[in-house]
Amino acid sequence: MTIVLNTLEDGAVFGQIGTLINGDLEIINTSDMKIAHCMGCNQCWLKTPGVCAIKDDYEEIIKKLVGAENLWLVSDTRFGFVDWHGKRVMDRIVPMLNMYIEFRDGSERHELRYHPLNFCLLYKGEADREFLEEWSRRVASNLAGKSLGVIKMGEGEQCI
Amino acid sequence: MHIVIINGSPRVQKHSNTDKIIQSFGKGLQETGSTYELYSLSNRREWDAALDAYLGNEQIIFALPLYVECVPSIMLEFLETLPVERQQPAQISFILHGGFDEGHQLRLCERFLQLLPAKLGCSYGGCLIQGGSFLIRMRDDEKMKAAMDKKMDGYTKMGQSFASHGNFMTPEASKFTGPEKNPWFVHLLFKLFIKRLVRNNFDYFAKQWGCTRPLDDKPYL
Repeated sequence: MTIVLNTLEDGAVFGQIGTLINGDLEIINTSDMKIAHCMGCNQCWLKTPGVCAIKDDYEEIIKKLVGAENLWLVSDTRFGFVDWHGKRVMDRIVPMLNMYIEFRDGSERHELRYHPLNFCLLYKGEADREFLEEWSRRVASNLAGKSLGVIKMGEGEQCI
Repeated sequence: MHIVIINGSPRVQKHSNTDKIIQSFGKGLQETGSTYELYSLSNRREWDAALDAYLGNEQIIFALPLYVECVPSIMLEFLETLPVERQQPAQISFILHGGFDEGHQLRLCERFLQLLPAKLGCSYGGCLIQGGSFLIRMRDDEKMKAAMDKKMDGYTKMGQSFASHGNFMTPEASKFTGPEKNPWFVHLLFKLFIKRLVRNNFDYFAKQWGCTRPLDDKPYL
């Protein structure tokens, strides 16, 4: 199962997604949802393990990610990076990890709470592609999965 | 020198590690005759004042924690409210910290920060980087106090250095980061001894927070 978090304001993910992903997928348009910024309270690690203290629509996303193998982020860009809408849904992914630490890929990482997730970024606009590729690799490493790549909207072949 | 410091952490000021770093850094600034004003993006009511201060001053420092390998989303949102051209010259510097102690974990975000000021019509004043900040919040705990006091003293010295040089482009700022990666024997020691010790410490903190579930709980399975 692939979960696609579409953070574009207009909510339209276009037909491109269908041509890029084989297998089961669910597209979640986050612009329709109430999602706050992660506030870094650490409660999902130290007080209510795995459960975010913010009671908003993101809990449904976490529940879906628990049953997924791949996570795709669709985001607009700003300053060469994903914009704050895209980054916001990634910052809230912390409950998928737990507080404990291990070395993974030669670096300190938090342990997985559930299972590895592969990560792919589909972005809109002009951005620093090399930077996004490295960010995508690092995000995937945090999730103990593979980076499936960075694709600019309107480009890219079928990849999964 | 007068400096505007903007705390880019989403965590409320009372519990913000970034705020504690700023307070120690600010002490160093003041000891050397500089002044500063502080705004916290975790408080929406401070955003307008932070924007005015950003526009009306020449020395700006953003202090921020690493969130998912880059800038926290709340700070990105604030950055998008800033004009891309500047009426008067300004320098933006950064204080970047993170929970893990390895310097390399913060380098990708540093790369983003290096390029950011130019996109806002400002110059870059360097980035002060240090990891290992998770335990700052536990500073009141007897076990952690000595190590965290030493860490905070380091930020005070860097405040003095910034007041003297006007930026973080100094050898002492570069040295401040510490090791880029843990050497192989630390990996070995971690597996053999430290991992269990660290787990016990986290379990201890969780108990203090009133946690009644195991930290590796899987609530949605």
